[in-house]
Amino acid sequence: MRKKEKVVYREKINWKKEAALLPGYAIVLIWIMFTAAFLFWIIAASLSTSREIFSGNVFKFATGIHFENYVNAWAASNVSVFFGNSLMYAVVTCVCVILISAPAAYVLSRYTFLGRKPMKFSLILAMSIPEVMIIMPIYSLSAQYHIKGRILLMILYIFLRVPFTTTYLLNFFASLSKSYEEAATIDGCTPAKTFWQIMLPLVQPALITVTIFNFLSVWNEFFMALIFASSSDMTPVGVGLLQIVNGMKYTGDYGGLFAAVIIVFLPTFLLYIFLSEKIISGVTGGGVKG
Amino acid sequence: MKSKKNRLFIIAFTLPCALSLFIMYLYPIVRTVIMSFFGVESVTARMSEWSFNGIANYQKIFSSPTFHQAIRNMALIWIVGGILVLSFALLFAVILTSGIRFKKFFRAAIYLPNVISAVALATMWIQYIYNQEYGLLNKFLEALGLEGKNWMGTDMKFWAMLVAFVFGAVGYYMLIFINGIERISGDIFEAATIDGANKIQQFFSITMPLLRSIFKTNITFWSINCISFFLWSKMFAPVNTEASTVVPVVYLYDTVFGTTGNVTRDAGAGAAIGVVLSLFIAVVYFIMNKVIKDDDLEF
Repeated sequence: MRKKEKVVYREKINWKKEAALLPGYAIVLIWIMFTAAFLFWIIAASLSTSREIFSGNVFKFATGIHFENYVNAWAASNVSVFFGNSLMYAVVTCVCVILISAPAAYVLSRYTFLGRKPMKFSLILAMSIPEVMIIMPIYSLSAQYHIKGRILLMILYIFLRVPFTTTYLLNFFASLSKSYEEAATIDGCTPAKTFWQIMLPLVQPALITVTIFNFLSVWNEFFMALIFASSSDMTPVGVGLLQIVNGMKYTGDYGGLFAAVIIVFLPTFLLYIFLSEKIISGVTGGGVKG
Repeated sequence: MKSKKNRLFIIAFTLPCALSLFIMYLYPIVRTVIMSFFGVESVTARMSEWSFNGIANYQKIFSSPTFHQAIRNMALIWIVGGILVLSFALLFAVILTSGIRFKKFFRAAIYLPNVISAVALATMWIQYIYNQEYGLLNKFLEALGLEGKNWMGTDMKFWAMLVAFVFGAVGYYMLIFINGIERISGDIFEAATIDGANKIQQFFSITMPLLRSIFKTNITFWSINCISFFLWSKMFAPVNTEASTVVPVVYLYDTVFGTTGNVTRDAGAGAAIGVVLSLFIAVVYFIMNKVIKDDDLEF
């Protein structure tokens, strides 16, 4: 009896506190419910026929669930090509950027040398320069040296991610203790060996976070791809989706369109479901200083 | 001997990074700035084909009605969108730091649109929310007994685009606000509560002043975001550029690469637009540093 009373008492306190927060809950819930309704409708539409979508009956599935929308989008609308391209761009970029940025970040944070300050400053400056300032010379350079296609886009994505990645990793290397290197030097390790075998593994969490950001960034990239992907076999998902949308007035396949949207959206969405805590703490942990 | 070896090591480790900075940023920026003072028709034209024409490119863009329209649209996105985004972001940040349950879930859900492809997001808005026949917005208005609208028509398109863009942007600025609020020590609020200040008084007398530098960060990022605004405009007017949604970067894109109806291209003028936009960003940084001084307050 006593125990029961205690429970009631505790609940009362909670409810009072919760009641004060009620307007807050309401506002946030409305926003999130809108997002959820929006997403569920798109998923349902991607499994419906165009006719069902137009009559507004996507949740009834009167003619069954149309998985063939996905098959059509994947094969007929070229989504498989776009998807493959984006995956390749993202993976190659993520690996190469680390190979370029991690050594530079390490040296910039641990050694003093001529040009260290200007280089750090340039990295930060490069992040705030609008892309429109660099596309024209890059365009003419690539035409002059006949660099084109997938290779060109990969090189551009790698270069584009270098300033952010280097700056992000710099802070992590700076926080490591000097004693690791001192011990390594006594044991006869060369600086390069010390870096690859001892220091790099120590910043693994930062490497993972920055790689997630690089992946998201390349996967969602649009502007560079619009300018430099000259044919559809090298187009990544963003521009590919735009092409599908533009082709809609000829095909009229709305189910296929929404299926394509879901396919484009799914990889980053899944990544987010599993890694949202890491991504969110990375947003405010690295480049942003308050 | 050792220092020489060290120098070699430093060079080897920083060279790739320095090279990418040089190829991707330094050289292109310098060349774009120079280009903006020359008559250059095609982007791929060699430097020997350029003809010096002083500030003619700048005169050309500043007398172009499309550029004026683009600047107007950008300014409207900056001011109206900025007020909406920062207000919602601050509101959500305050709610989520007020001791609410499921904070992590809410935070993740509000940030979600920032993670998914903006093209996919824009497509969802255009093809679903704003669709005249089966769209969510018109269905909702119908349920209220109101008449639906053609949201993608010329008169509503800009606002439709702005709302969709704002929806996607809020989460990012919210995270920065949350980070700022969480760094304010709880002791200050406790002391204020003991002194009899209510939540709203606390918000205006403690939270807001202490968030000054966070506001600075957010306004700077928002400004840069608006200056490089492109994707949403392209998605809302995918084939032909329209006056209702044109922004400077779209104008630049059309000037440099031509449009479907117009094959005249002018890379020199495009470079001038790029320089003007970069100056805008520089001005934003300068003003934000002057107006909102970094506070020396430790909290």
